[in-house]
Amino acid sequence: MHHDLRSPEPAREVSICPNSAIDLFYSVLPWSLAMNPLLIPEAYIIGAQPLCSQLVGLSQGQKKLCQLYQDHMQYIGEGAKTGIRECQYQFRHRRWNCSTVDNSSVFGRVMQIGSRETAFTYAISAAGVVNAVSRACREGELSSCGCSRAARPKDLPRDWLWGGCGDNLNYGYRFSKEFVDAREREKSYAKGSFESARLMMNLHNNEAGRRTVSDLAHVSCKCHGVSGSCSLKTCWLQLADFRKVGETLKEKYDSAASMKLNSRGKLVQRDSKFNPPTSHDLVYIESSPDYCLSNQSTGSLGTVGRLCNKTSEGMDGCELMCCGRGYDQYKAQIVERCHCKFHWCCYVKCKRCTKTVDQFVCK
Amino acid sequence: MCSRLPRTACLLRLIAICILLSHTAAYFGLTGREPLVFLPAPFSNEPPTGKAHLKQCEQMTLTRRQKRLCRREPGLAETLRESVRLSLLECRYQFRNERWNCSLDGRGSLLKRGFKETAFLLAVSSAALSHALAKACSSGRMERCTCDDSPGIQHREAWQWGVCGDNLKYSTKFLKKFLGQKRVSKDLRAQIDSHNINVGIRAVKSGLKTTCKCHGVSGSCAVRTCWKQLSPFHDTGRLLKFRYDTAVRVLSVTNTATGETELAGPRRHGQSHRSTDLVFLEESPSFCRQSRYSPGTAGRSCAKDTSCQSLCCGRGYNTAMHLTTLSCHCQVRWCCHVECQTCVREEEVYTCKNT
Repeated sequence: MHHDLRSPEPAREVSICPNSAIDLFYSVLPWSLAMNPLLIPEAYIIGAQPLCSQLVGLSQGQKKLCQLYQDHMQYIGEGAKTGIRECQYQFRHRRWNCSTVDNSSVFGRVMQIGSRETAFTYAISAAGVVNAVSRACREGELSSCGCSRAARPKDLPRDWLWGGCGDNLNYGYRFSKEFVDAREREKSYAKGSFESARLMMNLHNNEAGRRTVSDLAHVSCKCHGVSGSCSLKTCWLQLADFRKVGETLKEKYDSAASMKLNSRGKLVQRDSKFNPPTSHDLVYIESSPDYCLSNQSTGSLGTVGRLCNKTSEGMDGCELMCCGRGYDQYKAQIVERCHCKFHWCCYVKCKRCTKTVDQFVCK
Repeated sequence: MCSRLPRTACLLRLIAICILLSHTAAYFGLTGREPLVFLPAPFSNEPPTGKAHLKQCEQMTLTRRQKRLCRREPGLAETLRESVRLSLLECRYQFRNERWNCSLDGRGSLLKRGFKETAFLLAVSSAALSHALAKACSSGRMERCTCDDSPGIQHREAWQWGVCGDNLKYSTKFLKKFLGQKRVSKDLRAQIDSHNINVGIRAVKSGLKTTCKCHGVSGSCAVRTCWKQLSPFHDTGRLLKFRYDTAVRVLSVTNTATGETELAGPRRHGQSHRSTDLVFLEESPSFCRQSRYSPGTAGRSCAKDTSCQSLCCGRGYNTAMHLTTLSCHCQVRWCCHVECQTCVREEEVYTCKNT
């Protein structure tokens, strides 16, 4: 980790689009933290680099890191947003669909319960940060890192070149670890208290998310021999598509392990006959609240008004999604592109068709 | 409901309900009121001795008519128990990957409603009963019936050569007497049940195949002996499961021409349901959570990539390691047995979580 002690740079001209400052405020960091831009009038100053002291909700250690690495903050925000988007995609068919709320915290009070869903969100956001920072390094956006300097894998055939510019997984992993975990590490709670259990759970899940990204990174090659043949190949390390990370973490969510605190203050499995979780698995300490009905104290939004699929037997079927309350049937007009034609040269022109479909909405 | 009617009308209504309910008592086995806590052991090969069958007839929950038929026929008690065992095993096998796995816990409440599962239970019990009866006839375990003697096949030659066709004709006739299907009331539920029972019997009938054995000069097929044989019960079970998947929902309609009520469902290709389709009245509940119909899917073992998603209803699964012993490194020893060693292997076993 680079420890240059640079003073915070003065606000410099930002070449990114104006909305990013607001996005950065809104979408940053560990989950109880995103702020409502309406609360801070300075957020509307277009073109201003966010000053670290103004970002509410960063812990002390994170503020220091923010000042050291101000250019990284934008990517952290993007990474977190990617994480949320992937979470919403993976959970689109379930009762809890990773929806965000508009008050002072991103997901609402649901994150205060140490459930499987919380575990998933922590893991996927840590993974998103690794992803974004690694990519940014490769793109050359960050001054403190460059292309990957990972060692050549041992199983690469000898006549393939190792070079190119790979995603700097190493740097992304370490930065994410320092930054995201900083908030958890600087607190200390009484041994055996609920907060310490929650702390250990968060740290474990963040690590699981980061390790998933690093496990799924693979070697990618390009052929550039004589007339494009593969006699000469250059290979580099490339991060997996974030969708795959999301799918892997969703599988981990399905097999997450239920933990409790033992007498010595460590997290152990609730039921010892099941396999203990590895550092790649997700853990949780409380069971999920009922997502069927809307409940202010648990933060669940309920499933009233959700679309369901009449023919499906899974979680998105009307039976399970509406929790037995029944559903209403509506006819909805859907506008979509149809009769697309390719014109020379080189664009595709489509007409818009309206279609009436049956939609089923939970009561 | 009764308070608004005059007393005689109320009494008549109660009597009508009693008569209707009494029809359900004609069912048997999986669909009867037997507790089914014992699973009878498979057949021993000795013929039934003396009066032992009378005691067995008394032990089972049968109506008076059924008990009379049971007492008259010595081999029937064993056959009935065999059919119960067969239907239970087949039902559990076919539904091993579904949320409702044919457990006996919610059977009573399930049979009171007209779900798809009820239809399947009726069909599979009647199919198992007719299968077991036909096989018992051809195995010589029953006194009143023997091999298949339907005209049109070389049955006499079959006798001489030691093969014996399964007697489905007797089995079907006997079943009609046993289950009391002659009088079908106008009650919707009784009509549906009777239809489903017939689907089961037809499924067994459709599995009847002519099998031949060649025994001409040096094994050629110049001389052949043929007989009718029932397909294995697994095939019938698979067919019934397919019918369960394509079951049709019906309601009662009054035929304006004849004035009778009959079953009708949503029209599809001009016909609401065929005589080989299973029919049901209402949509099943999801068997995810514990209810009076089933114990829920908590603790069910599932396969990680295929069935855990749907079985566990989104609750996720736990992983445990399980030691399994199996035979490995098998070798043939002369002559003529196979010797195997036992290997112990650790396998991952997945069970659904309960919250």
